[in-house]
Amino acid sequence: MLEAVHLTKSYASLPVLQDLSFSLRPGQVLGCLGPNGSGKSTTVKMLTGLLEPTRGVVQFDGHNIQDDLTAYRKRLGYVPEEAHLYPYLTGWEYLELIGTLRGMPRDDLYKKIDSLLELFSLHPNRHTSIGSYSKGMRQRVLLIAAIMDNPEIFIFDEPLSGLDVTSALIFKNLVQALGQQGKLVFYCSHVLEVVEKVCSDVLILRKGVVIAQDSVANIGQILGQSLENTFLHLVDDVDTMSVARDIVSVMKAA
Amino acid sequence: MITAVIDAFWRAWSDYGERPFWRMVQLFVDRIFRGGGDADTEGLDLGVGLVLTLLAMPGGFVSLLLLNKYGTFLQWLRGNTNVDPLLVALPDEYFFIVLSMTVTGAVAVWRWDAIFPDRRDYMNLVPLPISTRTIFFANLVAVFFLVGLIAFDVNAVSCILFPAVVGATQSKFLFFAKFAMVHAVGVVLASIFAFFAVFAVLGLLMAVLPPRAFRRFSTYVRGIVVIYLVALLCTTAAVPDALRRGNGTSWTFLMPSCWFLGLCQSWRGRAGPVLVALSRLAIPGVAAVVGVALCAYAVGYQRHFVRIAEIADSTASARAPRTSRLGLLLDRLALRTPFQKGCFRFVCRTLLRSEAHRLVLTAVGGLSLVLASQALMDAFEGAKSWRAAALSPDALSIPFILSFLVIVGLRLVFEIPVELRSNWIFQLMLDQDGEECEPLARKVMLILVLPWLLVVAFPVYAYLEGWVVAGLHTLLVTTWAVLLTNIVLIRFRKLPFTCTLPVFKQHSFVTLLSVGFGFLLYAVSTPEFEPSALAEPLRMISLVPVALVAWYVPHRLAKNTIDIEKKLIFEEPPARAVEALGLGDYGR
Repeated sequence: MLEAVHLTKSYASLPVLQDLSFSLRPGQVLGCLGPNGSGKSTTVKMLTGLLEPTRGVVQFDGHNIQDDLTAYRKRLGYVPEEAHLYPYLTGWEYLELIGTLRGMPRDDLYKKIDSLLELFSLHPNRHTSIGSYSKGMRQRVLLIAAIMDNPEIFIFDEPLSGLDVTSALIFKNLVQALGQQGKLVFYCSHVLEVVEKVCSDVLILRKGVVIAQDSVANIGQILGQSLENTFLHLVDDVDTMSVARDIVSVMKAA
Repeated sequence: MITAVIDAFWRAWSDYGERPFWRMVQLFVDRIFRGGGDADTEGLDLGVGLVLTLLAMPGGFVSLLLLNKYGTFLQWLRGNTNVDPLLVALPDEYFFIVLSMTVTGAVAVWRWDAIFPDRRDYMNLVPLPISTRTIFFANLVAVFFLVGLIAFDVNAVSCILFPAVVGATQSKFLFFAKFAMVHAVGVVLASIFAFFAVFAVLGLLMAVLPPRAFRRFSTYVRGIVVIYLVALLCTTAAVPDALRRGNGTSWTFLMPSCWFLGLCQSWRGRAGPVLVALSRLAIPGVAAVVGVALCAYAVGYQRHFVRIAEIADSTASARAPRTSRLGLLLDRLALRTPFQKGCFRFVCRTLLRSEAHRLVLTAVGGLSLVLASQALMDAFEGAKSWRAAALSPDALSIPFILSFLVIVGLRLVFEIPVELRSNWIFQLMLDQDGEECEPLARKVMLILVLPWLLVVAFPVYAYLEGWVVAGLHTLLVTTWAVLLTNIVLIRFRKLPFTCTLPVFKQHSFVTLLSVGFGFLLYAVSTPEFEPSALAEPLRMISLVPVALVAWYVPHRLAKNTIDIEKKLIFEEPPARAVEALGLGDYGR
């Protein structure tokens, strides 16, 4: 089980995340929602061990992940928000590099790379340099890199960014399948309907504070509306219709 | 049996190379050569082989050129029958040391962004089951490998050819072997020193400055290093003479290139007291610079790399952009059309903010400053007064040198593309038949060059020589600069920085030679003539035909260009297999 216990993170005494606690059980797909600046990325960075919390701990199976980050990361698959890949490597070379660094046996690695590239429709481009890949292709490379070592924990930060409709559908089904396989999945996204569809539970952040945390069904039931309306109700002070009207009037202005 | 042992060895070696640590070393070596920076697109990838060949070429060429100096037959023809090659070789040895330092230092400056692990490495490697300490050591091993490879590559050819050329008059192989060994140690140590000196500067900056300040100052510091390297290259003529005459005193101790020359000459037993004293600094100097570089690297790594997740991704400034009065003035006076107004700002901002463009311009600026300062020193050498110095051809050549190199440098920089994937906006919005690129490029060049010349040259000469001389000198410099921009922009039909790199063409060598010839005419011959013309202003009239020819040729060429060749391009056309002779034109 992955647990966040009273996580707080401050930069130069300015808190960006305050007293965040949740637990993620095997088979659970936890969605994390929040507007920009709500602390989602900071949460992800702390869960991956990239950032140390100012207060609180992240525990995996009862141990602080910071005690043995290398062992924890061996069990972690992570898809970051931005696809910072090495543009001069080919897709195949990149995956081979990641597999080697994860310590995967070579034969097993090569077979998996080929199969996954085929399944993600990247096989014809496997020997093309990543510099010429589209955003969606890079995202697929990142997804393969995260899943190919069959880790126990998955942390996805905006994983659908740039994916075409088919790949996005495959990915949504994959997330659900991972949950059914007993994996722990933390899913961060802006796309409410995807979170509503693939996640069993949801965590809503606003200005670094948790404002709602429950199963998707319960949150909808409590407020008697869809997740989108619930989200707007909980986090947004903005009248979106009025902003849209203002934009049009600025466009028309001479 | 032997085959089995070899196979087993290769299998073991291959397995060893596949270990995570060595795989990461490979990644870093690859990244230093081909990657670096935060761009997600591939940069200018020349390939490792080509880069190494280019780096090895200067040493090889110079060694071959020296055959003329050391050839037995030529020596005999010159009547030099009793020459000590170890003494004669001193200036050439110094040149090779400086060349080795300059090329290696330039590589370190060029790959500055790629030497240290960056955000991309962080995002790809840190979430993997590898400790940050392992990443640190893997990158360090890659840096050491790179230094060794570059030091070997830059000097390998000269380590064989130069001793062979110098030893051509000697019958003993031992002379060649000894000379080659000492030369190799000297130039390789110089290379190592230069690389680690740049590395130490980079590491110290990272250790001392906060990340945002580091990013801002990094380019300026790189510029200063480039200027230093250009200046170092310019010392090759003066320093060996000074050292041979025994004049090298305090200032030579500040020049690491002199330390290594001292080391080589001491080991050859041909060093005077100054060179012996200098040689004592060489090895401690290398050790100190490597030590400082490693310490700074460790601190910089801890401060920057390990904490990347805590550092904001953006470098956005909190300052709102200011509307410059100068910009408004230019809009009103010089930049007439929306194309010129928009693109002028784009060009200026790219020149100021793009790393690659700034570096090339800095190198050109450095070269022009070095040449200008040499001209200034020559002007004052032996001059009786300020006025006499100011009217010497050397002093008068300064604005010509600066304007020539900056204009030609800008023309070169315009060819370097910046983020070609972003040029769609220009493709979408600009009129391809507008023919506005050349006027825009001319305005950029003149606006960036002339004001500085006018602000400095005119008042200085007005103060020293009076208004007439100042006016004539300024007029001549301005006219020559305008004519030069016309010439360098012949058939220029692209928006700067938005077109693919031009392919190497057969006439590229001719262009290069023309630049050299043009420099002689522009910055050497004109100032030689100018003092007499300033003394008798009517003589200026003799320059009018030259100016008319320089104006007419580009004008005529532009007129004869067919419409399709005036269209704005975003991709350099490949060399044509079939050329139209245009014979029909003669019938008109």
